[in-house]
Amino acid sequence: MRLTSLDFLLWAAGFVAQLALLFVLWYRRRARAFPYFTALITLNVVRTTVLYFVLHHGTKAGYAYSYWSAAILDVILQLCVVYEVASRVFRPLDVWARDVRGKFAWLAGLSLSVASGLSWLESPPARTWMQAFATKGNLFTAVLESELFVFMMALSISVGIPWGTHVAKIAQGLGAYSLISVLFETGHSYFGMSRELPVFIWLSHVRMAAYLGCVSYWIVSLWNEERAVRTMTEQMRASIFTLQTQVEHHLQDLRSRKKL
Amino acid sequence: MSAHPLQFVVAIGIFLSVLLSIAGYYYIRSRRSPAAGWEQLLASLTSIDRNNIALVALDLVDESGRPKGSHEAATLEPAQLWELVGGLEGLEVLERNSEVLIELACYVQQWYPEALVVAERLRLDARELKWHVSRLKGAAQKGNLHISFPFYAQRAVVTYYLMTRRVLSLYEAGNLSMLADLQREL
Repeated sequence: MRLTSLDFLLWAAGFVAQLALLFVLWYRRRARAFPYFTALITLNVVRTTVLYFVLHHGTKAGYAYSYWSAAILDVILQLCVVYEVASRVFRPLDVWARDVRGKFAWLAGLSLSVASGLSWLESPPARTWMQAFATKGNLFTAVLESELFVFMMALSISVGIPWGTHVAKIAQGLGAYSLISVLFETGHSYFGMSRELPVFIWLSHVRMAAYLGCVSYWIVSLWNEERAVRTMTEQMRASIFTLQTQVEHHLQDLRSRKKL
Repeated sequence: MSAHPLQFVVAIGIFLSVLLSIAGYYYIRSRRSPAAGWEQLLASLTSIDRNNIALVALDLVDESGRPKGSHEAATLEPAQLWELVGGLEGLEVLERNSEVLIELACYVQQWYPEALVVAERLRLDARELKWHVSRLKGAAQKGNLHISFPFYAQRAVVTYYLMTRRVLSLYEAGNLSMLADLQREL
């Protein structure tokens, strides 16, 4: 397959943007708060570099091995990022909100079932079982991620849990990109696997441009600081949960009215 | 076994439509949320006689919010309770207000993320309140409301009362400027 200048431009811009994002994650000290997300971006940078060198200096088998190893690691890290986002939203104090835990587990189960069902329905025109497995696997991950991000948003809004600025931006970017990936994988499956097809090239460009947009969005959002928050003291916590002052005030009021 | 490509595309189309509808619905809901404005949030509270609520609640619990001993608890007569609470309609108002109380706790999370714990506690309380009210609605359908009312209504009021105290404590502990507004409403 011959690369056009647009292919090269999108590829190079994506690589530079990911390097810039990695710089922002470390320089602005976000890597500590989002270790899996940082690992995912690092993997993308390393994968692009390694695949470039293997393509030019390695063997075909070596390229396939590197490509598929990185693809599996990519899927695992993407799921870890979903967990990271969920735990930052629903477990900000290191304990899962009691009334959310069950609902979230139920929605995760539903998401898994729908993703499995759609992957099973897919009939990719693949030549080898590995191609078929990869296509179904990509669709499964994209469907699962898009569902989980939408359900997380719905659940947090319905129970009134606010999202921190950074975690919300990461989730929005990944959610939008996984929805676009679902469209891409559907087109891939419907129109065929040939990389020479104009539809495939068009879909690839849309996907690369969407990812570039997401990375640029993360660079800007993660560079900016989150709104400052305050911490409760032990005394504040105690006064909220004992309720002594509040109830005593009412009791005195009631007793004084009875005396009158 | 796999389906025809067209069936698969239709299934994906349905999936994306449902997902985008859910996302759109919750996005609009979050924009319309009363938490967007303090005034709107307060306005969504239905006014009730707080002294009546305190009278009913403190007939059953002590200063710390714990149940009183059996000899000094539940001294109010069923007719008095009905009047003070405002019957089943009064309890439905408490049910609606309990949702606003949760949003009031959520509102504080923008400055104190730890208020999440209070909001969570309030959600559990609201669930308990709804359970009591649903018992009474069930009893009303069976014609047993007069028997069940004193027991469930008083417990529902206690739950609501403690929810209001918790929200006030949260605003007081956070030294938030909205406390005065809230004290007037609750």
